[in-house]
Amino acid sequence: MDYKNYLQHLKKHTRYDFSGYSDNSIHRRIQKVLTDHHLNVEQLIEKTKYDQLFVEKMVEEITVNTTELFRNPEVWIDLYHKYKSFLKNKKQINIWHAGCSSGQEVYSNLIILNELGLLDRVKIVGTDLNIKMLSASKKGRYNYKFNRQYIENFNKVLNSKKNGSPKVPFEKYFTINEQEDCLEVNDFLRAIPLFRRHDLVQEKIPFYNKFDVIFCRNVLIYFNAELQSKIIQQFYNQLFVGGIMILGNHEGINGFFKTKFLKNGPAFVKNNAYHLKY
Amino acid sequence: MLRNDKRYKAVVIGGSAGSFSIVTRILSKIRPDFPLPIILCLHRLKHVRSGLVESLNLKSNIEVVEPFDKDRIVPNKVYLAPSNYHMFIEFDNSFSLSTEIVLNHSRPAIDHTFSSAAYAYRDKLIGIILTGANKDGAKGMKEIAGKKGTTIIQDPATCEVDTMTKSALRLITPDKVLSPEEIIDFLNQLPNV
Repeated sequence: MDYKNYLQHLKKHTRYDFSGYSDNSIHRRIQKVLTDHHLNVEQLIEKTKYDQLFVEKMVEEITVNTTELFRNPEVWIDLYHKYKSFLKNKKQINIWHAGCSSGQEVYSNLIILNELGLLDRVKIVGTDLNIKMLSASKKGRYNYKFNRQYIENFNKVLNSKKNGSPKVPFEKYFTINEQEDCLEVNDFLRAIPLFRRHDLVQEKIPFYNKFDVIFCRNVLIYFNAELQSKIIQQFYNQLFVGGIMILGNHEGINGFFKTKFLKNGPAFVKNNAYHLKY
Repeated sequence: MLRNDKRYKAVVIGGSAGSFSIVTRILSKIRPDFPLPIILCLHRLKHVRSGLVESLNLKSNIEVVEPFDKDRIVPNKVYLAPSNYHMFIEFDNSFSLSTEIVLNHSRPAIDHTFSSAAYAYRDKLIGIILTGANKDGAKGMKEIAGKKGTTIIQDPATCEVDTMTKSALRLITPDKVLSPEEIIDFLNQLPNV
């Protein structure tokens, strides 16, 4: 299958551009679309040109929305400690979750900030390509039964201090609705974040302000090295000096921008290096 | 018959229940100048994140790493699929990672690693499936066979759990069915590239 040819059609006829995705993975995913929908490439091209609903559905199938509450607890434990000194003198704290999926890490982040008494200073925004995910983010309702590890993660991050401080109850932030088998983020927390659609690949960064923290977890892994660098550069420009970027656990920075960040635990810290011109 | 002068580019090994001790044995007996990259995809418990790569390194004659996305694949190194990621081999001989949906109840899934390796290395690939309690890896082995790569299945009689090897045997006739010791011998007598 000539998937590169198909990607050109997709770019030409829709608002989506996947030409910067990793070759093998986009090839495989398009192959899966063909199999699942019993199509050949010509039929897929035709559908792409004329069937907008199909395109939206296909994009949902191609993009990945895996996330969880306090994903990789060790990262959040580290942030919990780091935030104290890093953010406490800020009058306003700006945080962006790029590719926020269903928003679970946005709420995880807010819970930590609340425990540190910083919630009233926070401006937090989550963006995603996928409108369904944005509406899930806004609702803050998550499937419960299959995600019992959420509570485990929560306790690992917030309740494993050995100094005998009182336990933070899960119900402080969530209501468990057994009947409908879901977890609901409590209203006071749900009211804080903004969620809006943004395509990291195609659109310029839609914010005027700079950020103290940018999360972009397991999003760049789907892109090729060139596109990764382009987006890392945008993040770099949008961070305050000393601001931090949190990527997925097995994501790194390659190429030129590698030297522009210092790795501190899970955080990439924007270098204070004015003398380096680029 | 395998041609002795065939120039391989990589070895992929997949396994689940019981495979950790076999892999440890292979790596502790592999020759230190082994000329190829060894790419491991082993099932593990989702929340037991650390420890596996460290314990493999204690015994291995070759350095074992959990690759980062886009890391280049180099010879004489062992790569272990990181927990909770699928691991793919790209056409330019680098890794890419993905957190997409679990496959065969697993992330990492052996089928993903094996089929992407089959596409990237074609007949220059050796695929080995070890003991395990799940059918993951069988389709991947079929892809490797389809690209004329070399396929090796651990002899089910030597497996702690033989579901994985038997599932693979149902889909393909492998080039070899070998005991763990024979797998070690086979790898060690591969010619230098």
